[in-house]
Formats: sequence, C-alpha cells, structure tokens
Amino acid sequence: MIRRPKLLLLPAALVLVAGFLIPSLMMLFSPPGTAVTEVFTRLGEMLTDPYDLTIIVRTLLFGLIVTAICILVGFPIAFLLARSQSRFAGIWLALAIFPLLLSTVVRTFGWLVILGSNGAIGQLIVALGLADRGPQLLYTPLAVILGMTQLFLPLAIISCYSAVAQVDSNLDDAARGLGASKTRTLWSIVIPMSLPGIVVAATLVFAGSTTAYTTPYLLGGTGQRVLATQLFTYASVTVNWAAASATALIMTVLVFLVSGLSNLLASRKGSIE
Amino acid sequence: MRSRPVLFTLAILGYAIMIVPILFVILSSFTAGKTLSFPPQGFSLQWFEKALAYEPFIESLGSSLLLAIVTTIIALGLGIPVALAIARSSLRGKSTIQSFFVSPLIVPELVIGLALYQQLMITLRLDSFIALLLGHVIILLPYAVRVTGATLALSDLSIEDAARGLGATPFYTFRTVTLPLMRPGIISAALLSFITSFNNVPLSLLLQSREFRTFPVTMLDYVQQSYDPMIAAMSTLIMAGTVVIAIIAERTVGFAKIFGGINK
Repeated sequence: MIRRPKLLLLPAALVLVAGFLIPSLMMLFSPPGTAVTEVFTRLGEMLTDPYDLTIIVRTLLFGLIVTAICILVGFPIAFLLARSQSRFAGIWLALAIFPLLLSTVVRTFGWLVILGSNGAIGQLIVALGLADRGPQLLYTPLAVILGMTQLFLPLAIISCYSAVAQVDSNLDDAARGLGASKTRTLWSIVIPMSLPGIVVAATLVFAGSTTAYTTPYLLGGTGQRVLATQLFTYASVTVNWAAASATALIMTVLVFLVSGLSNLLASRKGSIE
Repeated sequence: MRSRPVLFTLAILGYAIMIVPILFVILSSFTAGKTLSFPPQGFSLQWFEKALAYEPFIESLGSSLLLAIVTTIIALGLGIPVALAIARSSLRGKSTIQSFFVSPLIVPELVIGLALYQQLMITLRLDSFIALLLGHVIILLPYAVRVTGATLALSDLSIEDAARGLGATPFYTFRTVTLPLMRPGIISAALLSFITSFNNVPLSLLLQSREFRTFPVTMLDYVQQSYDPMIAAMSTLIMAGTVVIAIIAERTVGFAKIFGGINK
C-alpha cells in the first residue's frame, strides 16, 4: 500500500491543469484580443446562418452515415471472427487492427490513388470505353464517406469483437438446438446481448468521424467543408479567434452529448439486466 | 463462414474498404512512370530513392521520432505514478480521479490543439516545440494511466504484501515485484503512445513551426501540393517500419491485446 498517494498524482495533475484545463477554458472565454461576448455572438450566428448550418448538418450527416456503415459492416466481421474455429481467425483479426497503426495521411492517400483523376477507377472507366475521361470522384461526399469508413472500421470491429466474444457461444447452440434459425439466433441472442459493445462502437465512430480533419481535408476539399476543416481555417488562415473558439465549442458539445447519451444507454441497459 | 452469405458478403466488403487502398499505395510506389496512374507503368525503385533523398521527409521523420520517444517517456513518467496511486492506495473517489486523468481522450484533438496554439503560442509566445511536447504528453497521458492501471488492477496484491512481510523495503518490493508485474502494461502503453504521437496530425498541424514540423504534417503538405508516387514510396517505407512494431508487439504482449485491447 502506498502511504502518500497524492504526491504521486501531483506531477500529472499539474501538467493536466496547466496544459489542458486552463488553456481549454481560456480558449473559450478569452481568445487573444477577443471579448468573451464575441465568441458567444459568433456561436449564435453560426447556429442561424445558412452557410454555417450547412457545415454543421454536413458534419452530422457524414458522422451518421459513416457510423451506420461501420456498424453494418463491422459487426458481421466481429461476429464471424469471434465465432470462427479457423486457425486463420487471428490473422484476419490482426489484419483488421493493423490499419489503426498507420497514419491517417497514409490511409487516406490510398483513396487519392483510387479515386483521383488518373486513378484506378477513372482509368478503368476509360479503358472500358464508358467515357473519354474519368469522372470526378474526389471532393465528393462519397469520397469523404469511403475514406472515413476505412479510417474508423477497425474501431467498430474491435468494440463489437470484444462484445460478441463475451456472449457465451453455448447460448447460440442452445437456441439452434431449440429450433431457432441462424438468423433468428443472431437477432434474438447475439445482437441483444452484445448491444452495449455495439453502442460503444457507434459512439467511438461517431465522435471520431465528426471531428476528423485529415480525411475531409484531403478527400473533400473546399466543396465538402466540415466543422474540423472550418476550425483549422479560422485558426490559421483567416485568424478569426471568435469563430474558431465557437466552432471548437460546437464540436466539443457534440462529442460530450453523444458520449453522455451512450453512457446513459449503457446504464439503462445495465439496470434492466 | 459461407453458411452465412449475408454476413460473409458484408465482411468481404469491409475488408475491401480497409485493405484495398493500402494495397494501391504499395503497388503504385513501385511504378517506373512519372505520375500516379493505374495500372503502374513498369517496375522500379526510383521513387524510393527520391523519397529517401528528399530532405524535408528525412528531417521531419527525425523530428517525429524524437517527439514520439520523448513524449512517450514523459507520459509514462507521469502516468505510471497515477496508475500506482489509484491501484495501490486507500484514496477516496478513485473513479473520479481516473476520469480526470483520462479526460483528454473525450475532447477532440483539434480542440486541444487550438487551445494550446491560441494560449501558449499566440498569447504566451511559447516556443512551438514546448507546445507540441505538452500537447502530445496530454493526449498520451490517458493511455499511460489506463493501460498500466489495467495490468495493476489484474495483478495480485498479496504478492507485494508477502514481499513486505518477508522484510523487503518498499523500494525493493517495488523494483522486484511491482515493476515486473506492470511490465506488460508498460510495454503496451509505450507502444500505443509511440504510435499515437508519431501519427498525430491535428495537434502537430496546429502547433508546427518552420523549424519543427512532424512527418505526417510534411506528408500532408506534400500530398496537397502534388501527389506523385514519391508519397506512395514514403508510405510504403513507413508501413514496413510499422510491421516491425506490430511484430515487436506480438512477440512481447500480443498484438491484438495491445492495439485492440482484446484479451484472447
């Protein structure tokens, strides 16, 4: 047992307060040369101005679509891997986790090679004689959604995998033995029992995809502005501190709301069981 | 697997989205042509030579490695004592303390970056390197606290009590019993922290300076200006380096355990 635990907490607490809490609060309430009222005036404008609202709605839509795809595709992968008897299952799991170790720039760059004007899809369409020139696939919502799905799918798989692995596979066998079809077993046993993990997966993917910068920047360009790219423009191109802080506030509140909602869902679920 | 056609099809689609873009990067890095077009024209290593001779890449690679190693060490130095205090003391409100130290995880990195850029670099005129160092330590601290804490929580307290009971000093007990128990947690936290710092874009982008720019930011700038096969070659080299890290992870604690948090 440690007698003076507070001494052990002190250095990290100081760094966290000085390097995270104080700068974050100051960023909201006193950006350089800007009154606090300006931040909240700007925030009010953003929530009513059609241009700013488009960006907020686009960010939310990208987040929702990417989350839906990641769960729809990530859960089956997690389920098949968790229930697989194959000795290659470990390799497939590793293959799903490995992209997490690569920089977002490297992973996103792959889509430039595929979707770019001289990219693989464009060349294929020209070679097949379907068109004289490859279609513009970059800087479209599709490009951003594909790029972010690639980015966050591993997170969805990991969370779902842990959840499915905890559901006793004897329950599947019991349901099957009692005459339930494979589909029925999945929907009435495995999915309800791994729901908390699925909620965690959805929260992680949504929080990640509504705040991601690199992918919307490279694949969306100026046509698909989202909150994150907008924040960067305000901070280092137009140097509009009030707008940058207001955007940061929107992003933070959004993530807090989603995590709070997910915690609430998790505790509700827990109380029913 | 094929007995579940719908799930199987969705899974194949998922793997395609994750893996195909990476394969395209690798394939296009070996092109003999001048542009990034597909299929690659011929085979050559010319873009690897160019990438390795391109000063900004090599310089920023050094900067990123330095930053990642230094911030990993600082984050572990700050985080391990916190994990110990939470696991091995009679402190009250441990879950609140834990949430406090893990809190940077739920704030978007770009927002942390903005706060540090605005307050440290603009208002206080601090050097960019100090801001970067602090920013990276802040985002790595949650991993150090949580991952080393998890191994401590799983380990058996009575072994340490036994050592003390047999007359070992607190420091000797720590060195010969507690530290070895924490080893897998420390290795996991170190590898996770290193990878997280090395790949970070949002903080490094906002806190960069002309003198100190990290590798992913240099790559991002380069991609934005011209996307030739050099960036593919550099990406392929980095992937090879990452495979080495993955192998180290697998040989020590287990790859899925470290990066997926999967205990199997």
